Amino acid sequence: MLVLRPVAPDDLPELQRLARESLVGVTSLPDDRQHLLDKILDSCASFSANVQAPGPENYFFVLHDPARGQLRGCSEILAMAGFSAPFYSLRNRPFVSSSRELNVQHGVPTLSLCQDLSNHSLLRGFHIDPDLVGTPMAELLSRARLLFIAAHGARFADTSITEIVGYSSDDGHSPFWDALGKHFFDLPYVEAERLCGLQSRSFLADLMPQYPIYIPMLPKAAQDCIGQVHPQGREAYEILLREGFEANHYVDLFDGGPTLYARHNGVRSIRHSLIANACPGPQSGSGRAWLASNERLGQYRAALVHLDEAPGDLVNLDPESFQALQLQTGDPVRLVAL
Amino acid sequence: MIVRPVRMTDLPALMALAQRAGLGLTTLPANQDRLTHRIRWAQRTFAEQVERADADYLFVLEDDEQQVVGISALTGAVGLREPWYSYRVGMTVNSAPNLGIRRQIPTLFLNNEMTGQSELCSLFLRPDQRRDSNGRLLSLARLLFVAEFPHLFGDKLIAELRGKGDENGCSPFWNSLGRHFLQMDFVQADHLSSLGHKPFIAELLPRQPLYTCLLSEPAQAAIGQAHENAEAALAILRHEGFAHQGHIDIFDGGPVIEAERSKVRAVRESQVLPLLVGTPDDDAPTWLIHNRRLESCRVTSARGRLVSGCLLVDRLSAKRLQLQPGDLVRAVPLLATQAKAAAA
Repeated sequence: MLVLRPVAPDDLPELQRLARESLVGVTSLPDDRQHLLDKILDSCASFSANVQAPGPENYFFVLHDPARGQLRGCSEILAMAGFSAPFYSLRNRPFVSSSRELNVQHGVPTLSLCQDLSNHSLLRGFHIDPDLVGTPMAELLSRARLLFIAAHGARFADTSITEIVGYSSDDGHSPFWDALGKHFFDLPYVEAERLCGLQSRSFLADLMPQYPIYIPMLPKAAQDCIGQVHPQGREAYEILLREGFEANHYVDLFDGGPTLYARHNGVRSIRHSLIANACPGPQSGSGRAWLASNERLGQYRAALVHLDEAPGDLVNLDPESFQALQLQTGDPVRLVAL
Repeated sequence: MIVRPVRMTDLPALMALAQRAGLGLTTLPANQDRLTHRIRWAQRTFAEQVERADADYLFVLEDDEQQVVGISALTGAVGLREPWYSYRVGMTVNSAPNLGIRRQIPTLFLNNEMTGQSELCSLFLRPDQRRDSNGRLLSLARLLFVAEFPHLFGDKLIAELRGKGDENGCSPFWNSLGRHFLQMDFVQADHLSSLGHKPFIAELLPRQPLYTCLLSEPAQAAIGQAHENAEAALAILRHEGFAHQGHIDIFDGGPVIEAERSKVRAVRESQVLPLLVGTPDDDAPTWLIHNRRLESCRVTSARGRLVSGCLLVDRLSAKRLQLQPGDLVRAVPLLATQAKAAAA
């Protein structure tokens, strides 16, 4: 069975393999050995840090397949999006042209660079084995992060955001980038995403457009990209929409993809997850599917379980899951229906 | 030909000119009421009854049969009663040396920097009269007037030249910029502008700078470019020292050219000379001559010869200026290239 756990230094070769396969635009997972190693070590330090309030910590999870000895996916939470460097996005709000004398009033949709989202936690780096797209494992990989937040609320903000990969063509062209970013950054889209994966985006801050961008001035193809989701980003997008995340006024500076937002107390896996005391007990395997996680930090584990009976104060987990979640009899386990 | 202040009796002639000028001359709409008002206002201006902020010196070009064939105007100051906007074409440099990135992005800054300067405007010469030095006389008479009465004007003289556009009145610059904020076509906006609503229109535009790289290519190409119909007017003022220093019209992107008042050739090089009447020879240079009067101002161009510190012109020219021999004139060679000949 597949288990989600914090990344470990031994995962480096497998992580490199995942990085090679990941979609351009998943900027937090570049195919660069040293960079990935740094990320692993940073994550290990984050899980073991004594944290009172969200800061620069980055929690990196992997979906481990012990039978194959492979990693099948990964996902991350950055405790505070703009802690180490400002978190830039484009705010899409109308510029209101108004004249009483001419009896004119209308809004021109306008993109303005902002750091509005700096104080939220950031879900990022979602990448899953293409064979698992659309399966409950994708739910596990994404939502286990939310269960982790539920268990360790003090380590995170009260809200989370996530940037969904925007549209680009198969040959790596983003019409949004070509109309906007290219003028300012003087780089091809793929190269810009690669650079931003290696360093924080804020290293390009000096190059970002400081003045508003009026959307009607952009070519139609670029306008159409605003808020559009890349076909391969749909999975991550829809899982979080079902969790209660919503798009509001922010889009990605590079590709125009939507930024989703939610308050944690309204997120389904956080609000509706419950805690029971776990005991090992055989299950038929045909019961209802739940996501389950232990409540630990560095030893955090999450998995998909099937329960014959709805959990009460106690819950019986089949022995394999019980062991995979590294539970002792009576340990709390957090559960949310799939 | 003479240039003189407009009179109420010129109204029919002005209406006819305004109708011929059509789209190209927003400051002179073919509207009887508005023209009447403007003439009256100009008369009060020449009578020194208005403040500089409101001053509108409207001149006409009149031939010896007293037919009005052209007009030109000069304002005391722009922007003192209502804001006067232009875009300054500035520059944003994006540089990241470690990545080999260096971009220069021309950027438009909405501004009121021309506030208080004097504007040359409303120039129109009947097409059949566009010959000899009529255009130059009509345009430069204003500069000689400024030279004579500098205290009535700003430190700078400016002129807004019509920008690139097609015969249907479409402006690529407008289509890529103003249209998004006003949702009307250029002709409509131009019409509102001619009714005096230009400041209101400007207030619909965003205050923050605009990156030109986001404009359409034809719009970018139109920045600071004069309409072909304005090229002659532009050439005349260039010759006088006017230059495009980066300001453009907020509607059509046409150049706003400017010159320091004291450095304009006709101002700097004009001199006050006693008038002599006689027969200048045929190869004498042509001069632009002002009778130094305000309300009964006359400016003409005539062949003239410097004779012992006096300007010798023929009897007809003196008559056109309403002057007697011995009266003082302000004069400057019509062309800079003639200055040497005149001094010789």
